Amino acid sequence: MTSALALRPTETSASAPADAGHWSDEAVLAATTAIAEGPLAGAAGAIDHGTYPLDILGQLGAAGALGVHLDRHGARVGLSIAAMQAASRACGATGFLMWCHDVCGLYMEQSGNPALTGTLLADHAAGRSFGGTALSNPMKAFAGIEPILLRAQRVAGGYRVSGMLPWVSHIGPGQYCGAIAGVEADGGIGHEIMFLLRCDRAELRRCPEFSGMEGTSTWGLRLDDYFVGQDDIIADPARPLIGRIRGAFIMLQCGMGLGVAEGSLDSMLAVEETLGHVNQFLDNRPAEIAAELAELRARVMRLAETPYEGATDYLIDVLDARAQTSELALRASQSALLHQGARGYMMSAAPQRRIREAHFVAIVTPAIKHLRWEMARLSREVLPAASAQGAVA
Amino acid sequence: MSPLEPTDGLGPWKQFLCRACGLIYDEGEGDPDSGLEPGTRFADIPDDWACPICGVTKTDFEPYQRRAAVAPAAVPAIRQRRPGVVIVGAGLAGWSAAEAIRAEDASLPITLVTACSGDVYHKPELSVALGRGLSPEMLRRESGTEAAARLGLTLMTDTVAIGLSPERRSLRTTRITLHYTHLVLAHGARSALPGNLDPSLCWRVNDLAAWSGMHADLAGAPRNVAVIGAGMVGCELAEDLARAGHAVTLIGAESLPLPEILPEPASRRLLAGLEGLGVTFRGNTLVSTLTRAANGEVALGFADGTAMEAKTVIAATGLATPSRLVRGAGLAFDRGIVVDQATLRTSGPDIYALGDCISIAGQPCRFIEPIGRQAEAIACAILGRDHPGYAHSAPVIRLKTRSAPIELHGRPVAGAAWAITEQTENRLAMEQRHEGQVTAWLAA
Repeated sequence: MTSALALRPTETSASAPADAGHWSDEAVLAATTAIAEGPLAGAAGAIDHGTYPLDILGQLGAAGALGVHLDRHGARVGLSIAAMQAASRACGATGFLMWCHDVCGLYMEQSGNPALTGTLLADHAAGRSFGGTALSNPMKAFAGIEPILLRAQRVAGGYRVSGMLPWVSHIGPGQYCGAIAGVEADGGIGHEIMFLLRCDRAELRRCPEFSGMEGTSTWGLRLDDYFVGQDDIIADPARPLIGRIRGAFIMLQCGMGLGVAEGSLDSMLAVEETLGHVNQFLDNRPAEIAAELAELRARVMRLAETPYEGATDYLIDVLDARAQTSELALRASQSALLHQGARGYMMSAAPQRRIREAHFVAIVTPAIKHLRWEMARLSREVLPAASAQGAVA
Repeated sequence: MSPLEPTDGLGPWKQFLCRACGLIYDEGEGDPDSGLEPGTRFADIPDDWACPICGVTKTDFEPYQRRAAVAPAAVPAIRQRRPGVVIVGAGLAGWSAAEAIRAEDASLPITLVTACSGDVYHKPELSVALGRGLSPEMLRRESGTEAAARLGLTLMTDTVAIGLSPERRSLRTTRITLHYTHLVLAHGARSALPGNLDPSLCWRVNDLAAWSGMHADLAGAPRNVAVIGAGMVGCELAEDLARAGHAVTLIGAESLPLPEILPEPASRRLLAGLEGLGVTFRGNTLVSTLTRAANGEVALGFADGTAMEAKTVIAATGLATPSRLVRGAGLAFDRGIVVDQATLRTSGPDIYALGDCISIAGQPCRFIEPIGRQAEAIACAILGRDHPGYAHSAPVIRLKTRSAPIELHGRPVAGAAWAITEQTENRLAMEQRHEGQVTAWLAA
C-alpha cells in the first residue's frame, strides 16, 4: 500500500532503513496524530465494520509508531503508548492492532534468535510486514485461569504443535504471530515453548461476527502437526521470557483505553455548547473524565519509564493502571453517549462505536476480572500451605 | 468562524439547530456537501434539503443562539451522594475504627474492605494460643459477618485495596472502585522476610489466617521446630511452642535474645526462662538458606557453613508496612504511613491511618494499647466532634514469656547504659537515665 508519508520526497525509498533515524519523539507523535486525525478518523466506521486497515498500519509503521518501544529504537514504551492513544482516540480497533503488532515485535526482539531479529524484525518494526499475538490463552493459563490449548511434541530438530485457538487478531495470509504451546511430558505439560507461528502453514478459520471492531482480522487458528524449527523459536522454555516482558505487554495496552476515553471526552466536549445546559445534570462530566484521564496517563507514563522492572509491587501498579484504563474507558464512553443523546446513538456516530470499543478494552485479555484475579493473587502472602494463605488488606 | 462576511444586508449569519441530532447549520458555512454554498441563508434552503447527519428536513431546525459554556463547576467539592467512610483492614485497628465511629454516629455509611475474612480475634492471643491448646475457632471471637451486622456496616471480604486516588476520593480494589468521604487506613504491617528465605518453607505469624495454617501444620505429634529471629515475637512463639510440647530451636543473630531493647542481665533471665522450658537457643547465627530436604524436612543453612533440619520453620524476622498503596497515592511515608500525632491524619485529604501501619516521628508503633485511643481520635475528627487529640506515648512492653515475664517502660535508648536497681533470684529491676531523669525502666 502506498502511504502518504512514503510519498514525501525525503522518504522516497520505503525500504531504506534510515526511517528509524527520523523517529524522534516529537516526529513520531506528530505523524501519528496526523494519520489519526486524517485517514484513520475517516476510516474508523469502516474498520469497525470489517475493513482491515493494513494501509494505515503501514503509514503508522513508517512513522515509527510501531517500533519505538523496541530496545533497538530506545525502548520508548511511553511514546509507544502515546502513539497508540492518539490512534485509539480516532479508532479503538486500530489501537488494538497496534498493540498486537507492538507485542509481536517485542517477542521477536526479546527472543535473541538471530533468525527473528534481523530483516524480519526490521520490516515488522517499520510496518512493512505484519503480525500479531496469540497469547490470550497462555497468559490465562499461566495465571491459573484456564488450561493451555496448543500442545507440542518434541521431534527431531524441533517440535510439532497441534491445537486450536478460537480468536487471534492481526493475522492473515503471509502474516505471523507469537504463540505458546505446552510441551507434553509424562501425560502432562513439562514446560512451554514460544514460537513465531507462520499463518501460511496454519488453518485460518472464520470467526463468528463480533459486535464491533470487525476490522481487526481476527481468525480461529488451527494447527495440525505444525512443525516449529529452531529458526522460529522465540523462547524455550517460554516462562522466563514471559515473566520478563509481562509488565510491558500489559502496560502497552493502556494506550487503547486512554485513547478511547480521550475520544469519548472529545465527543462530550463537542456538544457542550449546544447541550451543556442539560448535560450539566449528568454524571461523569468532561472535567471529571479529563482530570482522571490526565492523572492516569501521567501514572502510566511514569510506569513506562521502567517497563522491565520485576518487583511484584511494580507489576501490581501496572495491572492497577491497566484495570483503571478499562474502567475509565467504559465510564467515559457511556457518558459520551449520554452527553450526545440520539446523535451519538446513530450507527454512524463515534460514541456508540466507542461504547463497543471500550467494552473490548475491558474484556480483551487481561480483562478487568483477570486483572483483579491476578492483583489479588500477587497481593497474597506466600505461606507454606496453600490452604492457609493470609494477607493484609 | 464563518469564512465570509454577509453582504446581503440581512445582518450577521445565523445558526439553526437540528432538533433531532444537534447539528448546527451555520449560514456562513453552508452545507457544500449537499450543494448549499457558504453564505446560503436558512430561508433560501430548498425544502427537500435534509440534515446531513440525521436526515430530517429543515422544518425540524430551529434558530440557535450560541450560549456561553456552562460554568466549570463540574467537580463539586461535596458530592450529592454520601459515600461515607471506607476503612481498609479488618484487624483490631480496622474494627476499632468502625466501633469508634458507630459509637458516635448510628447512620454514617461505613464500608470495611479486607483481604481476609474479617473475623474478629485478639491478636496478642496468637503468641500464647498453642500452649493453651486453643484452636482457630476458639480464637475467633466473632465472625466478620456478625460484627458487620452488629455495627451496621458493609463488609467486603477477600478484597484487596489496590489503588488510591486522593483527589478523586476513590479507592480501587480487586472487586470495585469505592468512593469515600473519609478513608481510614488500618491495613497493618507485613512480615519482612529476608529475600534469601523461601517464603513457601517458613511460616510467619502476623494474623489469624497464618496462625491457623501453622496450627494445622503442627497438628499431630510434637516435632522439631526452628524459630528464626529472637525478637519479641520469636521469643514468645518459642515459649508457646515449647509449652505445646515441641522441640524448639530459637535462632538469634546476636549472642542473647531480644538484644535491641534489653540489657544483658535481662536478656540472660529471658534466656534462662526459655531454656528452662527446653528451648535451645542458637545465638550469633544467621540463616542464609532454606531448602526442602529429601526427608521432607526443611534444611536451614547457616552463614557459618553449618546446617540443621526442622520439620517446621517459623520466621519472626520483623514487620514492615506495605508502602505501595500510599506511595502510589503520593502520601507521605517514612517506615510507615506518616500521620499527625494528635489527629492521626495522613498527608492526604480526609485520609486517616492507625495501628501497625502508621509511623509517628519516623517510628512505627506496633502495639495494641494505643489503637483504641487512636480510633477514638479519628472518629471524632471524621464526625467533627470535639476531641483533645490522641496523645502518643511509649507503650508499656510486656513480654508474654511466662517463663520469664518482662515489663519495659519508657523509651529505652539502644547502646545507652542500664543500671541495676534491684537484683534478687526472683526479680531484676533496671533503669536508664538521661540527664538525671529516668527515661526507661524494666522489671524482669
